[in-house]
Amino acid sequence: MDFGETLRLSGRAIRAHKLRSALTVLGILIGIAAVVTFVTFGASLQADVVGQISETSANNVYLVAAEDDEGFAGAGRPVFTESDLTTFASVEGVDRVVPRGVLSVTAISHRNDTIARTRATATTPDAFASTTFAAGEPFELEREEVVLNRRAARSFETNASVGDTVTLTLGGGRTRNLTVAGIIEGSAGQVPFDAFGSQARVFVPTDPLYNTVVESPSAGAPQRVYPQVTVVADPAETGAVRERVEGVFPETDAAQLVPDGFELLARTSGDLADQIEEIVSQLTRFVTGIAVIALIVGAVGIANIMLVSVTERTREIGIMKAVGARNREVMGLFLTEAVLLGVLGAALGVPVGVLAGWAATQYAGISLTLAPGWFVLAVVVGVAVGAVAGLYPAWRAARVDPIEALRYE
Amino acid sequence: MTDGAQIAGETGDAVVALTDVEKRYRRTEDVVVDALAGVSLSLPEGSYTAVMGPSGSGKSTLLNLVGGLDTPTSGSVAIAGTELSGLSEAERARVRGEEIGFVFQTFNLMPRLSAAENVAFPLVFQGVDRAERMDRAEELLADVGLADRTDHRPNELSGGQRQRVAIARALAGDPALVLADEPTGNVDTETGDRVMSVLDGVNDAGNTILLVTHERRIAEHADRIVHLRDGRIQEVEDVTGVETGENTGNAEGGDSAGGD
Repeated sequence: MDFGETLRLSGRAIRAHKLRSALTVLGILIGIAAVVTFVTFGASLQADVVGQISETSANNVYLVAAEDDEGFAGAGRPVFTESDLTTFASVEGVDRVVPRGVLSVTAISHRNDTIARTRATATTPDAFASTTFAAGEPFELEREEVVLNRRAARSFETNASVGDTVTLTLGGGRTRNLTVAGIIEGSAGQVPFDAFGSQARVFVPTDPLYNTVVESPSAGAPQRVYPQVTVVADPAETGAVRERVEGVFPETDAAQLVPDGFELLARTSGDLADQIEEIVSQLTRFVTGIAVIALIVGAVGIANIMLVSVTERTREIGIMKAVGARNREVMGLFLTEAVLLGVLGAALGVPVGVLAGWAATQYAGISLTLAPGWFVLAVVVGVAVGAVAGLYPAWRAARVDPIEALRYE
Repeated sequence: MTDGAQIAGETGDAVVALTDVEKRYRRTEDVVVDALAGVSLSLPEGSYTAVMGPSGSGKSTLLNLVGGLDTPTSGSVAIAGTELSGLSEAERARVRGEEIGFVFQTFNLMPRLSAAENVAFPLVFQGVDRAERMDRAEELLADVGLADRTDHRPNELSGGQRQRVAIARALAGDPALVLADEPTGNVDTETGDRVMSVLDGVNDAGNTILLVTHERRIAEHADRIVHLRDGRIQEVEDVTGVETGENTGNAEGGDSAGGD
């Protein structure tokens, strides 16, 4: 029996029950589309995150005190004192040292519009050394100034612009009037990924606003203390600088201030990228796993409908055998039908999945990255799902006794 | 009771040769049914044989064995010189396809195939290419007076037309034997006569026919009637020359009225 005829007969059997076949195909379509959607979104997210390790932050070394088992993802504790900043600045190959502190705020107002906020970042003008300003310039220390990112500036009813006054309400209800010194794009190297810069951010000078202080063990006097420090290294030796910074950890106040169960960590952008890539791909794998369950449900649908089909067409099977069809030809016919359903579902599922993946990336504000390898895989899976799901029904069909089948009403 | 010995002499150029065929079915652990209890029968080439008998006489079993759908418990079934009992399922399927054409009481056409595709269907399994198959099908449909119904689906045809499509299909593979199982059982008398005249024409063209029926009137179209009872041949009756509406198988007349 030639393959063309097998295809023709299978196709006709599928078309004979249009709604039923369409629903079966829909099952596979949803499964494949779900897998493709999540894989596409995952690939896009990963490419976006990794691709956006901005060149400006590639030479940054990030220092935090984090809980042992949480690594860099954990919340930092304020341990780095002013003395430590000086220590890090004197390490060979270090260009600048930028401290970052968290200032608790409850609200920020511009003209008559007040928005609730939970935090502002206290840092030094060096934080903006390689930042693109949309307007204005960095604040200066010891001034009542503020830098907003574009998102933050736009979150007011009337956009805040350079020279405007905004009012920061700090914890305890105290307020400070600050002049907008500049508006930046992105996040000013707060984290090495610009994607996260799409959140609203408010930057204030450490002096005079940041007042988290501790008794410095080395200086014997109260000093400001920061949870995060960015060491900007000579681009040629970022890795080496990280090691040197780690080398001076024992001499720092931080080493004494770090609580039990916490440790000092120094990470480059690359380390962070790897870590985030790992998290994203784990997440993708997990969600894809769930989507695969949808695909299995689709396969069960095919198996089910093929079993019904075999029962309904018992007499046809009898006729086929009477006119000379061998068991494997009968089996081939039903298997082809199941595979066709699977391939149809896969062929329709891939574009639907890409579309949904595209929609998801649009929603998340990241650019679309296709994973074409997965499309090929999806079609292969469609064939495989059809074949596996059709195997048992086809075997049942082949085993139909022609004598019984021909009497079957 | 006689057995088939009286016709054993003709086995030389027989299309079908049954020798001491027994078929037992095990209904339950200790109930065994003797469907056939030693049947010997030979169908010479070009012969026209009818098998009659009450239900339970073994007619269906005989048909299944000759049709290669079943294998005997003991004895030998040979079709066109091929002994069936030693064959695998796949080999028997090949014999069915190439040596036997089935005509069933309930027509048994493929519902989603056109008349021509139904006729061509057995050739699909013999590796004949599509163009050749369809040519052959149209030729055969013209022979049974259905030249203008080639593209119709079975559900668009009357019972008589369906049975003629089935006869054309039975002839598609140029088989050694045409097996007709109650071919007039599902059509009215008038249509039945038309179907029989087509079948008569098939025999006149030199084909060997084995016809199973319970109607004497239909059986008399054959040259001889084999009477089965309780799984044995009771009598072989020569009915050559008995009145049959001598219509040389040209179904032209049936075409216009074809319906039931």
